Amino acid sequence: MTKQETNIIAPTLATRRSPLYRRHLQYQAHFKQVGDNIVVDSYPNEGAINDEIEIAKSMGLCDLSTLDRTGFKGVGTPQWLASQSFKVPVLANTAEEQSSQSLLIKLSAQEILVLSDLLFLSEDVKRLYQKAVENHQSYDQQIYNLPRNDSHCWLAVTGINATELFSKLCAVDLRSHKFVQGAVAQTSLAKTNAIIIRHDLNKTPCFYILSDISGAEFLWDCLLDAMSEFHGAPVGLSALQTLASNQ
Amino acid sequence: MPFGLLKYGLTKKYPAKHHFTPEKALKKHYDVVIIGGGGHGAAIAYNLAKYHGVTNVAILEKSYLGGGNTARNTAVIRSNYLTESGVNFYSESVKLYNNLSNEFNYNVMMESRGQLTLAHSDAAIRSFRWRAEVNQHLGVRSELVDRQSIAELVPNLNMSEDARYPIMAGLWHADGATARHDAVAWGYAKGACDRGVELHQLTEVEDIIIANGRVNGVKTNRGTIHCGAVVQAVAGASSIVAKKAGIALPIHCYPLQAMVTQPYKPILTPHVSSPQVHVYVHQTSRGEFVIGGGSDPYPLYNTRATLDQRETLSAAALELFPFLTQARLLRQWAGITDMTPDYSPIMGLSPVKNYFLDAGWGTWGFKATPICGVTMAALIATGKVPDLIKPFELERFYRFEQINEAGATAASH
Amino acid sequence: MKLLSCPLNGLRNISEFTYGGEYHPTPDHQTTSSRDWAEHVFFHDNTAGIVIEWWCHTPSSFWFLAERNTLTDEVVRTFTPDELYTKSIIQHETKPETTP
Ligand SMILES: Cc1cc2nc3c(=O)[nH]c(=O)nc-3n(C[C@H](O)[C@H](O)[C@H](O)COP(=O)(O)OP(=O)(O)OC[C@H]3O[C@@H](n4cnc5c(N)ncnc54)[C@H](O)[C@@H]3O)c2cc1C
Repeated sequence: MTKQETNIIAPTLATRRSPLYRRHLQYQAHFKQVGDNIVVDSYPNEGAINDEIEIAKSMGLCDLSTLDRTGFKGVGTPQWLASQSFKVPVLANTAEEQSSQSLLIKLSAQEILVLSDLLFLSEDVKRLYQKAVENHQSYDQQIYNLPRNDSHCWLAVTGINATELFSKLCAVDLRSHKFVQGAVAQTSLAKTNAIIIRHDLNKTPCFYILSDISGAEFLWDCLLDAMSEFHGAPVGLSALQTLASNQ
Repeated sequence: MPFGLLKYGLTKKYPAKHHFTPEKALKKHYDVVIIGGGGHGAAIAYNLAKYHGVTNVAILEKSYLGGGNTARNTAVIRSNYLTESGVNFYSESVKLYNNLSNEFNYNVMMESRGQLTLAHSDAAIRSFRWRAEVNQHLGVRSELVDRQSIAELVPNLNMSEDARYPIMAGLWHADGATARHDAVAWGYAKGACDRGVELHQLTEVEDIIIANGRVNGVKTNRGTIHCGAVVQAVAGASSIVAKKAGIALPIHCYPLQAMVTQPYKPILTPHVSSPQVHVYVHQTSRGEFVIGGGSDPYPLYNTRATLDQRETLSAAALELFPFLTQARLLRQWAGITDMTPDYSPIMGLSPVKNYFLDAGWGTWGFKATPICGVTMAALIATGKVPDLIKPFELERFYRFEQINEAGATAASH
Repeated sequence: MKLLSCPLNGLRNISEFTYGGEYHPTPDHQTTSSRDWAEHVFFHDNTAGIVIEWWCHTPSSFWFLAERNTLTDEVVRTFTPDELYTKSIIQHETKPETTP
């Protein structure tokens, strides 16, 4: 992991930008580069990094849209991923964390979504993508790659109060005892389609949200608006990384 | 004065006159049986009797006169459609409407206050320009108007540029109008009954008798009738009735809902419609705001009203007319609409001889009532399909010649 | 009907679903006349009563079938297409796993 000087990195430096980078600039975010990706490190206006960790523990919103993800669909998909030494979730609408810390999500019997980990420890997504490009001829209409980097934005809502927020925006019961670690809901959130995945950062509840990239700003604004009564706020990736790595 | 009225009402010198056929037994035979006592059925009977001298006619209505979609529609009359066939057909109807009160000597409360359809996108402006050109070419008053003109036509419309879908332009249709829907059905039925047509209410057609590919009678809950010709004008029941004659139709039935507020003082002159926010609004001469919009999201034969639709219609109406926030809703209701794939009707001949179709009226058939009466009566009386309705025949679907009025119909009625 | 049970995602608000038309077996591409195609494409049974129809759960793009009463708006049951389609059009055997 390359850590560079954070405050001089502009989100427009990389070819891939988050659909939300203008929002981050409005908040005077500090950015950092990790691998090829530029992410929000923190929002200094909101206070020091430790405050941001506290926000994330109670209710935070983080943009992960520039992190790598991909997907596969077709009858051969689960078997093929298993042959690549992945732990494939058994049931649809569940997620399975890999030893490399990347996340496999089974969306239906034949469709799997792969998300990279927050600490950039694994190269799983890149590797799978490469493999799919090289070998696609031999898959014989059994496996199709569904690139997800540019189709969906990727947000995280974190903290012990997160479920309060969802009860305002989503009809599915996402309370901790009903929607446990690894649970997945494909549903409507703030009247827009979304995939919601429970993937806690150690003790801090965390919900990944994948939703149509063209509605990213709408969803971001909706979530922030709905958060205001709980004093929720945007947080940078660093806060989440800290929570994810502190055992 | 009130006493004078009372005296008039009680005197034997001016006995009350029946508007319609008093209850009586069905005859064994009629020349023409009309299934469905809505505006269309009544208009066909009226034209058969008055203009073709065909008076041995029965209108069979399973419920009561004009209690179907004729009673439930929002009474919008207009002719700014997109296709040549559509515009020619509906503009004839608007002309007939303009003279209908005289024709009946009965007030149908025709009010030509114009119709404004709103564009919230470049694509909509392009299609409005196209419609305006077609309309003008065919003699219909229809023009593209800018924001300035819209603000003048409807001063209380939300013209904010910060709205979710800001208003960019409009299609102004000076011929747009409304009329009293009950009066239309009653006027036609009265005129028909005065000339010898029989209206039989609470009379349901349960089966259709066909021999050698030709219709010769109907079975009803009150017995069997023989007849020379049958026309079905049953709107939401089109597929069900046609099936009894062995005819399949390209129709899917969806509920269409509408609602109305309490009366307020006059503030809105034209009818305003927005296909993009899925709502249309006009204020009746009684002062009520009539609010309608898109169909229900899936097919159903059930006229329940839903909270979902109340919410979406209200939200959309407030988007255009924020001053309605304090308005109170009086009623909400639904009708079953017989939707065709191309949003044009199915009129004319059927695969069964002497069995005629007046169906597929979906969400747009009230405005066509007078011209349906004229053309269907001519077809039944002469056996020749009038040019005006030739394009709407059922056979068009087999030739892949749909008459696409989807864009000119959505949420405009 | 305010809720619909998706075979993949469970019970959800009706607003999460899109109606997809009546179920009709697909005509044989090789032998069907254009008249029959027209009927298959444009015409509907439009039955007042229990029908089988397509639905799509929009957030997951999952297509399934429902038996529904179009008079009462009650759903009798929902099921996955493999009950009616035993082999896929591209000639692969599909054996969908059961889902929660
Ligand atoms: C909410 C709503 C708003 C609308 N708004 C507009 C609008 O603004 N402008 C417009 O032009 N159109 C509008 N429409 C469409 C319009 O109402 C219809 O297309 C039109 O009224 C159809 O007239 P009709 O006489 O054919 O049908 P109906 O008035 O429905 O009459 C059909 C009759 O057939 C009877 N019937 C059915 N089955 C049988 C049987 N087996 N035996 C005997 N009788 C039977 C029924 O009881 C019914 O009375 C709207 C519709 C709805 C529901």
